[in-house]
Amino acid sequence: MYATADMLLTSAQAAAAAEQPQETAIEVVLVKAVLEGDRDGFTRLYHLYAPLVHGILLARVPRAEVDDLVQDIFLHAFKKLHTLRESSSFGPWIAMIARNRAVDFHRRSRETVEINDDLRGSNTQDSRATEILELIRNLPEAYRETLVLRLVEGMTGPEIAVRTGLTAASVRVNLHRGMKLLREQLGFMEGL
Amino acid sequence: MNDDYLWDKTGEPDPEVQKLEEILGTLRYQPAPLEIPEDLQLPRRRNYFPWLAIAASVLLAILIGGLWLSMRSRREPTPIEAKLTAPAPAKEVTPTSSVTPEHKLPELKPEPREEVVVVHKHRPRSSAPLLSKSEREEALMAKEQMMLALRLTTEKLSLVHKKTQNPANQIKNQHRVG
Repeated sequence: MYATADMLLTSAQAAAAAEQPQETAIEVVLVKAVLEGDRDGFTRLYHLYAPLVHGILLARVPRAEVDDLVQDIFLHAFKKLHTLRESSSFGPWIAMIARNRAVDFHRRSRETVEINDDLRGSNTQDSRATEILELIRNLPEAYRETLVLRLVEGMTGPEIAVRTGLTAASVRVNLHRGMKLLREQLGFMEGL
Repeated sequence: MNDDYLWDKTGEPDPEVQKLEEILGTLRYQPAPLEIPEDLQLPRRRNYFPWLAIAASVLLAILIGGLWLSMRSRREPTPIEAKLTAPAPAKEVTPTSSVTPEHKLPELKPEPREEVVVVHKHRPRSSAPLLSKSEREEALMAKEQMMLALRLTTEKLSLVHKKTQNPANQIKNQHRVG
């Protein structure tokens, strides 16, 4: 398993490196524009990064809470944007805010009431989706975020690497190992 | 199992991954407008550079000024010139028989005076500050105490030396055998 993942790292790194400059340039321009008072620039940043934040939250908090938290996180980011030192690090920065907000959410919910995480949807497709999502959430933390971003949000491995600030190698290994574990879990479920 | 498809959606699609994408895609982010309140002002990034530059310039100017002053006081001492006039050596006048007390001594022509020019050169001052009055007194007292201690030590040593040199003492401590 490790050998297969390692063999494929070189092409992954090359692809990620090719995509990175363009993405970074957009970020830098938008962050600079927002800091100069352009609110529309922040809306563009929101549209670029909302799927990332949504995926990070979906891997950690109840589905019903995700949309509100996405809005909260972007408002917080808007207020604190002047504290961002490197404009090119907007993605990793907002990803970290999202992870911290998910931790805060669980801390607060433990202090107040038990969250009734009823993920079951109305139709069969939705129900199946929530079941698989639950399986992903039970995987080790390193794999669940990458898998959600890939399978739910439809991002490619290089995109995940660029936007989260992780190395392409890490993302590729996480995807490969996470997918293997998920397949095992799904096989176990179908066997029941 | 096709890893390329899982990685960047290239190559031959993996049916299992495709199926998962299809099912989980229903949970995907649905674009929603971001509502930023109008009264929410974006705090501007504070630019400390001008202030830092001014502070650095002032500091640099003070530093250079201080250095210049210290160099000036060291390298350009005002020479103190003292013109001392050496007294002309008194010439011994040997009395001759022809000279009578009534005779006036021959007038001695004043010799041209030698002018001695003493130039007091400033030595570079040591960086140690001068001692204050109380410190100076303290230092003198310490010196006296040190001298007293040395004197006492010397006397003691000489006493010991005498005792060891005295032959009576040498015999006194020896046991006679037989």
